[in-house]
Amino acid sequence: MRNITLPATRADVADLKLGDMVTLSGPIVVTAGIPTHHRIIDCIENGKPTPIELEESAFFHLGSYSRETENGFEILYMNPTTSTRFNDLMPRIIRHFGLRCIGGKGGLDAECARALGEVGGVYLSFLGGGAPIISSAIRRIRQVAWDDLISHYRLVELEVEALGPLTVAIDAQGRSLYQDIDETAAAKRAGILEQLARQRAATQ
Amino acid sequence: MTIRDEHIFEATKDLYSWALRRVPDDTKAALSRARETETNETARKTLNMMLHSAMAAESADRYVCSDAGVPVYVVRIGTKADWNANIKSAIRAGFEHLVETIDPPLLKHVTNPLTLERGYHGKDMPIITYDLIEDADYIEIVCSPKALGSGRWAAMELFTFPTLETIETYILDVAIKAGSQHCPPTVMGVGIGGTFDYCAKMAKEGTLREIGQPHPEPMVAAMEKRLYDAVNQLGYGPMGTGGDTTVLGVHINYAAGHGFTPVAVEFNCWINRRSIARIHSDGRIERVE
Repeated sequence: MRNITLPATRADVADLKLGDMVTLSGPIVVTAGIPTHHRIIDCIENGKPTPIELEESAFFHLGSYSRETENGFEILYMNPTTSTRFNDLMPRIIRHFGLRCIGGKGGLDAECARALGEVGGVYLSFLGGGAPIISSAIRRIRQVAWDDLISHYRLVELEVEALGPLTVAIDAQGRSLYQDIDETAAAKRAGILEQLARQRAATQ
Repeated sequence: MTIRDEHIFEATKDLYSWALRRVPDDTKAALSRARETETNETARKTLNMMLHSAMAAESADRYVCSDAGVPVYVVRIGTKADWNANIKSAIRAGFEHLVETIDPPLLKHVTNPLTLERGYHGKDMPIITYDLIEDADYIEIVCSPKALGSGRWAAMELFTFPTLETIETYILDVAIKAGSQHCPPTVMGVGIGGTFDYCAKMAKEGTLREIGQPHPEPMVAAMEKRLYDAVNQLGYGPMGTGGDTTVLGVHINYAAGHGFTPVAVEFNCWINRRSIARIHSDGRIERVE
């Protein structure tokens, strides 16, 4: 399995194919909060820098438990949240920062996939219910920003090693596994309903 | 001896923690079976990661998922149990104690629906429903923490004298709407008939049923089997990134009603969180699951 060193260049992710599995090593930025996304968009609209640099970064919809100790923050565990909750907010963020890797679980919509195709970024699917595996990749905390928010809404920059495996679900050309699977399911629906009708008839 | 507040408190504070750290045995077995038959390579690897995550959580005593959901308890009171307890307040006290002491701490997921404020506490939290078990001499408490990931895809519709075709089409369409979103492979609980509230409760009970236990009536069991095959043909697969394994089980409950027929569908994500304790009349707490 390929390990990608972050920060990744456009070329590093250009040839990733849908369904490929990768691991990541290097700095990532995580949050699970809608209010956090609103603050990022506020920064974009008002020309303010985000408290953590997002330019061409790896930015993931991961919720984490962070707490302040004498030696600074520590992260006890993290896991993905549903990305589609951020469908309306992500295209602008993807385009503005040229995000290289994004991810979470459940994917993003067609407009987000288009934005990824424009900037040459990929969406990576994390294992929901994968907290033990995902958390074990954390090496250190680089920064915690907007710590007035509840833990999983904060913007957190972490150093990870061999984070994953993660599934390439939207590629750098904007092709989306989610769209493909939705279209296939829609196309199969009529045939499946006919099959159900045949099976019902056979049992009656 | 009699079942008292302290027994309910003891059982409650542990149940939630157990549910967060352990994938039930039937669910692990179903994931293993799916791994053997799955034809999509990415899906097989994802199922493998799921089993690995379940084992890692168990052996290291860690949470399987960071989203602990909200506390949901089903209390089944044996009609022959010897009890004298304020069950509701004892469960609340048990949950309060858990929030204060659990290690690592929980994220704040309890949400006020009117203000969106989040915390550990809220009106009517924990959510508790009650049932009676005829002749049983114990109280059984089921903990089934529920989070947004799979919780938001539940659906309900009210039909008038629907045919089986209408009902099955609706169930399939709810699965299509949930698509890749609810951490599949899921357990799909279905309620058909009764009244609005009772139908939703039957769907919930469906998600709590052990995987591999078909409905006792052959007609309903056949319906479960064909819908299981139908949903798995849609192709969403583990984590919705493609494959043959979208549901681990379709569990249908039905009840007679009037001509209006509610149909409710609820999902449990692949970790299928569920823990059960039985409190016997002598105060002994038995961990059933």
